[in-house]
Amino acid sequence: MSAWGRLLALDLRRLTRSAGTAAAILLLLALGIYGAWRAGQNVEAARSSLAAAEAAYDDQLDYLLSVYPPTTEVGEVLYYVAFPAPQPPLPVSSLASGRAAVETESLRIRLLSLEGQLYEHETVNPRLAAAGSLDLAFLLVALLPLFIIAVCYDLVSGEREGGTWNLVRLFAPPRRLLAAKLASRAVLVGAVASAVVAAAWLMAGIGFDGRAGWIFALIALHTVFWFTLCLAVASGHRSSTANAMILAGIWVLLTILAPAALSLGNAVLHPVPEALELTVQQRQGYHEAWDLPPSETMESFYRDYPEWSDETVPEDVFTWSWYYAMNHRGDQAARDASRAYRDALRQRDTWARRWSLFLPPLAAQLALDRLARTDIAAQLDYQEAVRRFHERLQDHFFPHFFAATPLSAIAWGDVPTFEPAAPGDGATRAAVPAAIALFLASGLALAVGTRRAATATR
Amino acid sequence: MTMRNSLPGLRNTLLIARRQLGAIRQDGYAAFGLALVIALGLIAVLGARHHEANEAEQRARYQDMVDRQWREQPERHPHRVIHYGFLVFREQAPLEFFDSGVSDYAGTSLFLEGHRQNTANFGEARHSTGMSRFGRLTPASVLALLLPLLVVVAGFAAVSSEREGGTLGFLLTQGATPAQILAGKVLATGAVGVLASVPVALAVVVIAEPELGSPASGARLGALAAIYGIYLTGWVLLTVLVSALRTSSRSALGQLLALWVVICVATPRIAASIAETLYPLPSRAELTAQVEQALNQVGDSHRPEDPFFLALRDEYLERYQVEDVEDLPVNWRGVVSREAEAVTTRVLEDHRQELAEEHSRQNRVMAWSGFLSPYLAARDLSMGLAGSGPEATEAFLAQAEAHRYAIIQRLNELHIHEIRMENDRAQRLPREHWGEFPVFQTEQPHLGTVLANRPASLAALLLWIGVPMTGLGWVRRRLARIGRDRPS
Repeated sequence: MSAWGRLLALDLRRLTRSAGTAAAILLLLALGIYGAWRAGQNVEAARSSLAAAEAAYDDQLDYLLSVYPPTTEVGEVLYYVAFPAPQPPLPVSSLASGRAAVETESLRIRLLSLEGQLYEHETVNPRLAAAGSLDLAFLLVALLPLFIIAVCYDLVSGEREGGTWNLVRLFAPPRRLLAAKLASRAVLVGAVASAVVAAAWLMAGIGFDGRAGWIFALIALHTVFWFTLCLAVASGHRSSTANAMILAGIWVLLTILAPAALSLGNAVLHPVPEALELTVQQRQGYHEAWDLPPSETMESFYRDYPEWSDETVPEDVFTWSWYYAMNHRGDQAARDASRAYRDALRQRDTWARRWSLFLPPLAAQLALDRLARTDIAAQLDYQEAVRRFHERLQDHFFPHFFAATPLSAIAWGDVPTFEPAAPGDGATRAAVPAAIALFLASGLALAVGTRRAATATR
Repeated sequence: MTMRNSLPGLRNTLLIARRQLGAIRQDGYAAFGLALVIALGLIAVLGARHHEANEAEQRARYQDMVDRQWREQPERHPHRVIHYGFLVFREQAPLEFFDSGVSDYAGTSLFLEGHRQNTANFGEARHSTGMSRFGRLTPASVLALLLPLLVVVAGFAAVSSEREGGTLGFLLTQGATPAQILAGKVLATGAVGVLASVPVALAVVVIAEPELGSPASGARLGALAAIYGIYLTGWVLLTVLVSALRTSSRSALGQLLALWVVICVATPRIAASIAETLYPLPSRAELTAQVEQALNQVGDSHRPEDPFFLALRDEYLERYQVEDVEDLPVNWRGVVSREAEAVTTRVLEDHRQELAEEHSRQNRVMAWSGFLSPYLAARDLSMGLAGSGPEATEAFLAQAEAHRYAIIQRLNELHIHEIRMENDRAQRLPREHWGEFPVFQTEQPHLGTVLANRPASLAALLLWIGVPMTGLGWVRRRLARIGRDRPS
């Protein structure tokens, strides 16, 4: 074994002999395996939620067809039919759960006003959601850096304070010693992180695609950043306790305080009154129509659907075409507010993303959420897909409403099915700035670290 | 100990506290931390207050608009109004800016209509990006999360540095007892915590004061001060205890930081995850499917040929001794609608309450976890006192549901008695009726209820000072010996 290898092995043994380090490694591994198991469970839960939406549709349809006479107009029955719009879960979503706890991607849509149905959320317990989730991203982006700090803060000062620095310097040049110590720590941290990632990969059933590749690359870059940061701080002349306080302070600032402050800033700078506005408008737009002559409602309906402007509805009799056109009027009334709502959310997203680039952990976190499809953009994409689905259902059924088609004449197999949002959109594009930011931050810290190491180890 | 002897004892304690404060002042890190906590605390108070006021203004504005729209409805058939429904917005508690609790994850607007229970939508979390993993910055998060770190930084070396510098023995031989030394260190470390929290507390009181005229609100503020006082005292005692137990300041700091991470960062999430594993919730899709199936079992008011309603019809025909529903002295359609609402609501309420019970089972896991993480216990009490705890959310949902049911049934009564069955749909009720309906008002849970709901958190918090207190009592007798018996 080379001298270098012996040095490394010796240092590794010294590290793992400490009870604190051993306890931390065990804790991280235990949490990692538990987190991976939970991730697998979440993928299962998402699949069963999807299956439940599909099954509920079949059951409901069977039930309705069994109780309504075949001559019933289809419009009457469609009041009850909720069409499933399930987005197939991505296994990687369970690695960075982001906003997954509050969002549902398994809506069921009726042909009524869409804006009244689009914003249902998951059956979340607010108390648990407020505590935060224990996913792999949290483990590797928030907790792992603390472990890195714990093994690196006394890189030089520990030897100096223990009186061993002058002794070990006899065996190797200081810079080589420092490199060896860093390398042994990198091996240790790398082994722990890889074990956690491997567990997640196996237990959540993640395929090895570009998305997963980016996720692992970002986690690796983020880990490197913390090593360089520790080097930059620990290679100075300060005492071990000072180093520990500085590094813990930086961790608290980057991981907790700055994101919490930015989050508050985002809420203050970008309020979303449109959420309430669109709710009020949709309800008013639909219900007002009941007190208006049907022709007025149909006129605004034909503005969106000129292809059906030849159809007329009677003024004095209830028709299902009028009923669904009134529902469409609710969506029309909420359209501006709904667009403004989405714009406001996109604005929040862009703002968060921009500022996150200055905070490496946040940059990694938001990029992971994007790659895992658990961020605002993914939710907006999903809502867009549901909007298109609702439109396709309208396109399909309105001719039947105008023709007053009876239930018996409907081929349910021909009804459009939900086309999920394409998962590829822009995810990797969002990872690039984060990767560059992490790379630059690491480079900066490394430059400071090596420069200080050159003077400090003398 | 007599009074005569305790006076020099007190003087010794104060001398040691002053000495320690001097050391803290010289150490730049604690001073920097103090400035940072105060600054962040003030930013949190102002920012959170601004945000909450903005939200409250919005909700009040839309609630007014919705109330007006309700009163100004044209002449309508009551069943039309049942579908028109009612829109309510959750009113915030006056102290929600101090601790937003679970309110970000609870819905803000809830549409109340006949035959259905909608979900409360548009919580702040729905509009937040992933950067709020540690929540928004609130005064409570500064006090519960950050202030303990400052206490650790100010106090980790309190005793250990005296031991390292060899001054501990000197102090002991100069006549200071171990108890006086420990008390002095606790006082000095605690003083830093008090110094950091006073500006934040003052800002909260000054800002909250205009709306907190009532004694009840004063009691809430007082209780909050007590909770955070106990919580921080626990951290101060623990910090001095660890410092007294360790032979080096470095390992004391390491242990305290590790404890902070475990208590404030890791345990809350682990507890939440375990609660979720033990009591999994059905997904929204599964829940709505269950509700739908249960509703199919009990009948559908829009389909009067349903077996349930056929039986009801026979009962009415017999009660009024008539041959046909058209001859009933009441409007049969209204009766069907009223009974259907009752049946439907029973099913919906069963499911809603089942979900609420599952939530409270999960919450119980969180409450018991307070024994492992006093941070959880303090936050649990804090959000309860601020009026942003889970019971406030549940109360909103329950009150809104009660309001929904009352309004719908009142409309059904109008249908039964004011609308003739013949040519039912074509009739309208004059708009005066709409003004007679009550507006929705949220009632916040009372202070007593809030505290009575949280015995585990209260006990955990008392244990949190009891345990390090006992530890300090034990250390007192061994202070001189630690680090001498065995080298470390």
